[in-house]
Amino acid sequence: MTNVWPADAAPRRPDLIYPKVRRQRLADWLGSKTVAPWLLMSPTLLFAVIFFILPLIYASYISLTQWDSLTPPRWVGLDNYAYVLTKDPIFWKTFSNTMYFAGASIAIGVPLAMVLAYAFTRSRGQTLWRSIYWLPMITNVVAVAYIWKFVLDDRYGLVNRTLGLIGLGAPGWLTNPALALTSVVLIFVWMQLGHNMLLFSAGLANIDESYYEAARLDGANERQLFMQITIPLLMPTTLFVLITNFISGLSYFTLMLVLTDGNGGPLRSTTVTGLYMYQMAFADLRMGRASAVAYILFAVILVITLIQLRVFRRGGVEAH
Amino acid sequence: MSIILRHGTVAAALVATTALGTVVAAQEAKTIQIATHYNEEQMAPLLACFDAYEASHPGISIEFQQAAYGDFLQTILTSRVGGTSPDIYNIYSIWAPQLAAAGTLAEPPADVKEWIKASYGAGTVGAATIDGTLWGIPTELSVYQLFYNKKLLAQAGFDAPPATWAELHDIAAAITTMNDQGVIDRAGYAYGASVAAAVHVYYSQMFAAGVAPYSDDFRSTNFTSPESIEIITRQAALFAEGITSNTNTTDDFAAGTAAMAIMANWNKAELQTVYGGAFESTVGTAPIPANGGPAGTMLYSFLWAVDSTSDAPAESWELLRWLNEAQDGASLSCTGEMLNNLGAFSGNLADLAKMDIGDSFSAPFVAAIESGAAKSQPNIWQASENDAILRGYIEQVWAGNMTAADAMAAADAEVTAILSEQP
Repeated sequence: MTNVWPADAAPRRPDLIYPKVRRQRLADWLGSKTVAPWLLMSPTLLFAVIFFILPLIYASYISLTQWDSLTPPRWVGLDNYAYVLTKDPIFWKTFSNTMYFAGASIAIGVPLAMVLAYAFTRSRGQTLWRSIYWLPMITNVVAVAYIWKFVLDDRYGLVNRTLGLIGLGAPGWLTNPALALTSVVLIFVWMQLGHNMLLFSAGLANIDESYYEAARLDGANERQLFMQITIPLLMPTTLFVLITNFISGLSYFTLMLVLTDGNGGPLRSTTVTGLYMYQMAFADLRMGRASAVAYILFAVILVITLIQLRVFRRGGVEAH
Repeated sequence: MSIILRHGTVAAALVATTALGTVVAAQEAKTIQIATHYNEEQMAPLLACFDAYEASHPGISIEFQQAAYGDFLQTILTSRVGGTSPDIYNIYSIWAPQLAAAGTLAEPPADVKEWIKASYGAGTVGAATIDGTLWGIPTELSVYQLFYNKKLLAQAGFDAPPATWAELHDIAAAITTMNDQGVIDRAGYAYGASVAAAVHVYYSQMFAAGVAPYSDDFRSTNFTSPESIEIITRQAALFAEGITSNTNTTDDFAAGTAAMAIMANWNKAELQTVYGGAFESTVGTAPIPANGGPAGTMLYSFLWAVDSTSDAPAESWELLRWLNEAQDGASLSCTGEMLNNLGAFSGNLADLAKMDIGDSFSAPFVAAIESGAAKSQPNIWQASENDAILRGYIEQVWAGNMTAADAMAAADAEVTAILSEQP
């Protein structure tokens, strides 16, 4: 389909100028269905091109170079990818930490948020509860990290002092390499809980009450209502929460950066790939290698997201 | 007509003079931007000097830019990519090799170099030198020595700091206590979570043992030397025997729950704040314990450097020299005045001689600088990356996951590979 300028159909004298007609034609063209949407979207598109597409393309080029941001990039082809995947003594350790962090935060955080959202939907003062659980989301991550450092301190922390009162030992929540990442996962779950609860609450509000009434008439108990009605009908919301949590979990590192004074310790036990990439770029000035790590992480996130979409669609999203 | 001509000539002359004056002024007017990690409060003496310099040097204006230490290198890099580099930076000496190799730094003029060599200690000049080329004017010196809590040592029956590592081990063991949950609540000795808290301590102990951590050309390491293995083994023994742990950090020294730690002199200001009137009677400093022989330790330095893209390099070096020489009968230079207020040491020998450093706390640090016992931190290639690798392997030994020999051999292999990348 091509645009026809409205005035083109009328006969025109070549020796006369028709400014009003021209303006009208321009206004009509700009207001046409083909042009107007693009015109309205252009600020957003421009923003996306400048701050997303161009950096993405530039990073892909940089990942094929050796660049310290001081001297011009030097083309090295796929060397950065080869080094990271086959020689780097730390990358796979950080990758394992990343998968553990993302997986554990979903395994603990998503069911917890779903159950709490379900409980609070049926309780009095649900707005108040939602607000309370939402508070960590609007608290600065640096403040969150410092509060938890105090709470989890080996000697004087609230948790270990409480354990001491009942005669238990004092785990090194952030100082024991075997425990540190799990502690970070628990803090992250606490931070994300309100956000996930809000999403599940919105999903729950969309479930028609008549399903529950019908099931109750058939003699279903509360557990059966939750398992047979709520969970299946919440599947689209669950899929959304899982995908967004997994993506944010795979690329997240702010909490580790602040909790461990930037070094991802002890013994690199809290060094996730995002933090490793940050150190590589801005402490070691290996921009090319860091860009390669970013693209590897991007590929992993893409594959896992596609798998999640496929599995969950087959498992119930499409059915509802 | 002649009157008109005369008036016209005068007017033309006035216009021409004004225009010419404007052009000359425009040519001479220079703005020098100075970036440091010190904040405005810390920079107060220097900011006053900037005003004085502007008043005595018409046409020169000075702009101060501050960036936090943690963001400073990134700020420099970003400003260079954006073409808005400051003219003068105050940089950490270990950043200098890459900045110099990338052509970021301007070499000082010959007369400034001569002045630096004549006015600063050898160890200090070394911190600003890469491959024999001097790149800037040293400023703040940080020297490592042993800090000990006099009261905790006295309570355990010790009236003097340890001179050897064996003595340190015994004193630390005698002081350490655990709470009812088995956590060390008073550590005989403490390390820290940062890279420097392990690596700078290791370098200091290496210099104290008489061995430089790197070869003279900075292309290989001495990590696998017997002295190095012994140092790391002894450090690990403190963890294995429950004398210290990851829980106990150098921050505990200020809290009075760690008896000893190897730290830099800049901790003085914080400790004075914490202990107040009890500072002198509580905090003691001593040379790094070793196995005898001459004392040794490590110092690191910041330095004033000029950006190679500055459009006022001559003016920048002139300003820097002015800031680092005592003016108008003052006892300290502007930089020296600022460092003195911070409780820090100046690399400038004239400033150092007149700073408030006559107290017992400062004595071991000053002695190390003046005697040359304090060696400059090696300005190696990719220092930050190599230090992080080294910290990783040292931690493996502390945790008992690797032997000192295996860990240091692995660290040597990785670090040497990175050092081989340098041009």
